[in-house]
Amino acid sequence: MNFPVRLALRHVFSNKTRNGLTILAITIAVFLLCFLLAVVRGIDAGVRSASSTRLVTQSAVSLFVSLPMSYRPKIDAQDAVTIASEFRWFGGYYQDPANFFPQFAVNKDRFVDMYVKDFEIIEGPNGITGPGAREAVKKAFATEKRAAIIGMGLRDDEKYNFQIGDTVPIIPAIYQRADGGAWDYVIVGIFKPLKARIPDKIMYFRSDYLNDSIDSGEAFGEVAAGVYYVNIDQGSQSEIIATSIDQDFLNGPQRTQTVTEAAFASFFVSAIGNLPLFLGTVGGAVLFSIFFSVVNAMLIAGRQRLKEAGILQALGFPPITSCLLLIIEGLAVALIGGALGLALAIGTQDLVVLNFGDSIRNYEIDSGLILLAISTSSILGITAGLCAGIPFLRYRPTEALRSLG
Amino acid sequence: MSHDSYIQLKSVSKKYSRGGEDLIVLDQLDLNIPDGDYAALMGPSGSGKTTILNLVGGLDVPDSGVVTVAETEVSSIPTRQLPAWRARHVGFVFQSFNLLPVLTAHENVMLPLQLTPLSAADRKKQADFALEIVGLSDRAGHRPSQLSGGQEQRVAIARAIATDPDVIIADEPTGDLDRNSADEILELLNRLNEELGKTILMVTHDPAAASNARRILKLDKGHLVSDEINRQASGQTQGEA
Repeated sequence: MNFPVRLALRHVFSNKTRNGLTILAITIAVFLLCFLLAVVRGIDAGVRSASSTRLVTQSAVSLFVSLPMSYRPKIDAQDAVTIASEFRWFGGYYQDPANFFPQFAVNKDRFVDMYVKDFEIIEGPNGITGPGAREAVKKAFATEKRAAIIGMGLRDDEKYNFQIGDTVPIIPAIYQRADGGAWDYVIVGIFKPLKARIPDKIMYFRSDYLNDSIDSGEAFGEVAAGVYYVNIDQGSQSEIIATSIDQDFLNGPQRTQTVTEAAFASFFVSAIGNLPLFLGTVGGAVLFSIFFSVVNAMLIAGRQRLKEAGILQALGFPPITSCLLLIIEGLAVALIGGALGLALAIGTQDLVVLNFGDSIRNYEIDSGLILLAISTSSILGITAGLCAGIPFLRYRPTEALRSLG
Repeated sequence: MSHDSYIQLKSVSKKYSRGGEDLIVLDQLDLNIPDGDYAALMGPSGSGKTTILNLVGGLDVPDSGVVTVAETEVSSIPTRQLPAWRARHVGFVFQSFNLLPVLTAHENVMLPLQLTPLSAADRKKQADFALEIVGLSDRAGHRPSQLSGGQEQRVAIARAIATDPDVIIADEPTGDLDRNSADEILELLNRLNEELGKTILMVTHDPAAASNARRILKLDKGHLVSDEINRQASGQTQGEA
């Protein structure tokens, strides 16, 4: 190890209290930065992974107003529309309100084909897996009225542990049954999401099960579709198709508003305020304030090194040596803090996913974040070292030697 | 290498500004010190002793006049090149030792050697040798805080001679030491001068320290007021020789 690095590292470990506290501050800042950015990127991943060939048609009045079932054939009839399916929010829970996961009522004949690129069926009836599983699940979904397809998270989470063939009772929050009981669903397929916006704890079931039950008086509610998900041809102009769909229902029982799936996903993000911006701002503010505290610590270190700078200059070292020593010291402190913060973020990743995975989706400290943390720490350390070191370039050795540093 | 005037100051003036007023520290000073000499600079505070050391060591530049060391006009070396010149030609010994506390004695001695083109092994050898000369080989791994004042100053001397410079500049080298330690240091400086032929320029307030030098130069208000051969020290040397 060459002389400047060795001397700078000796300084890092010589003032344990000051540098220890600085390292701790950087550790916390980098951990928070990684954590907040992972949350933001998780949210963004959902929007980014939205299909460019899918539209969502909802009521122009509100998302909470359901569209009629009669709209689907008209949407299907649009040029460039390949397939459309109703999607209706169910909002029930399993055994306890704490065991909540999203459930949607979808079209029994269209849903599986519609999501070919979005998830991979990994298990079907009678334990079937592999390439044949999708067809088997599609067939079972079309045959069994109470059929449900679930994400693999509901199988793997010990709290649920749903398996193929299980009958799962879901207690309704909106569509109450006349007998006051739960809705029973039979698991016919398990999928693995291929897109970040699709959670792995989700359940899709047949909309006709819900609508027919309402129609026959077994359950309360309105026979309706919710919203429509509409797949369109690759390369077609989504805006023109969206406008065309909305034009069709201008004088219908419900006016519609058709947007891209990405815009629809963004709506949910913006519904809770501009969370990514908020979290990003918090992370930035933390980092900014830590930057000043690191600069302050390095300035104190610089003042203490003034005499050392004089000694080094008297021995024949150029003034830039002392500047360089402070930069290396700042970099070392920041990198140690950054590495610890990163280690903390990576170390707690599973814990965060386990405890908050349902609300913080796609949380991952990926290579991009690791690189960002390392580069941010490096810039922080180098800048702080520069702030403390630059004045050393203009000190004369006699001045520096007279100091008490 | 031998020169009539190894260290020469010709009409050197230096002033500092303090509180808006110019304070003349050296006024048209002439000084000649031959190669291998051991000179003590004495005088009251503010007489310009340390300023002479700084000028000879290339730590400062005169306002006017010429400072020459070993035929090199130090006062005309560009500021950026002065550190490199210092590294090759001058070894400093300070009153307060000025060792780096985070480094061991050996590492402190190694410091100026970092600037030489020597290999790592040769640097180590040179540092070992310098510590051997000052009698501190057994303290090489100790940090300054683990050494006595006298030992610290001996390490500082080892550092000053590690690169085998022509001139050793000592600013009150015994000022912070008790009598016994001071005597050890003075004895060491004598050996460096007599055995290794180093030219030594030492500032001191202590007459006992000055009595070790071959010449005693007295300064007052920026002027050289006396330049005496110290017969006792010269006689010792001649006698020993």
